[in-house]
Amino acid sequence: MKFLSYLEASAFSEWVLTSMLGFPTLIALHSVGMAVAVGLSFMVTLHLNRVFIGFKAQLIPRLLGIAVWGFILNLITGLALFVSRGPEYIESYIFLIKMLLVVISAMILFWLRQYLRPMNLTTEVSVADRTAKNISLISTVTWFGAVIAGRLIAYLSEIYR
Amino acid sequence: MNLSIFAWISDTPVAAWVISSAYIWPILECIHFVSLCVLIGSLLVIDLRLIGFYRERCASMVKFLIRLSLMAFIANFATGLLFFAGNTFKYIDNVAFEIKLVLMMAAGINALFYKVRLGHLVDTEEVSWGSISVGYLSLLLWGGVIICGRMITFYATY
Repeated sequence: MKFLSYLEASAFSEWVLTSMLGFPTLIALHSVGMAVAVGLSFMVTLHLNRVFIGFKAQLIPRLLGIAVWGFILNLITGLALFVSRGPEYIESYIFLIKMLLVVISAMILFWLRQYLRPMNLTTEVSVADRTAKNISLISTVTWFGAVIAGRLIAYLSEIYR
Repeated sequence: MNLSIFAWISDTPVAAWVISSAYIWPILECIHFVSLCVLIGSLLVIDLRLIGFYRERCASMVKFLIRLSLMAFIANFATGLLFFAGNTFKYIDNVAFEIKLVLMMAAGINALFYKVRLGHLVDTEEVSWGSISVGYLSLLLWGGVIICGRMITFYATY
């Protein structure tokens, strides 16, 4: 908590909170990263579960690679936003739920990318194994749960009031 | 600016409904953001094909993704309209909102150009300068739409 207060009092935190560009830019980029990471992860889930077909197997880890970059943008901007309001965020249960869901989603994203990499088929992923299908379905729930929890932080905690 | 139209929108039953409960606005925001993720995800897959990130023949997949992105866009647009009705004065003289509208229209024209001139391309393994341009432009425009959408709150003048 002391460390979070120290971060909150830093010059960077002050820039985030008081400059014209700091907070708006970070929150905007946070949303871009979110849309890329969650959107592409969802598309891969739909494909693994045969809602639509068309990707070759090699493409899935590459798409998830782009989702990873979206997540990295989301993470960096999220950390910068956290620095500016750390002590308040850490006491918000909805923020903690969001973080838990993000951690699970990110772990699944990295795992799935690694897991599907050895599949070097030349045809469509028509028989993606059940593990990948089920885990990707879980990630859809956790990703969208994280998005929803993120939106509710402003309403279910004292932050931004 | 003539404010009467904004005042009229603020007085409609829809506007009253949006702000009638503490739950409606957050629920609309959740739908707005979830549909945004679906929209961007499906558009990304299409745009990546157009710029040549992958070159498979994927006409049926693209057809499905266009339908999915349209559904997500409708959900996104409808919730956006409800935000506008519920807090109309936030959007008056709001430069971020105005730029967002322009970018959305440009993205629509770009998508239409793809549909009319380049739709056949996804049934081949080809990539052309036209498709690369449309793909990158789409990515830029939708990125701009997200950024301007988030900026609306910070540029509200009322």
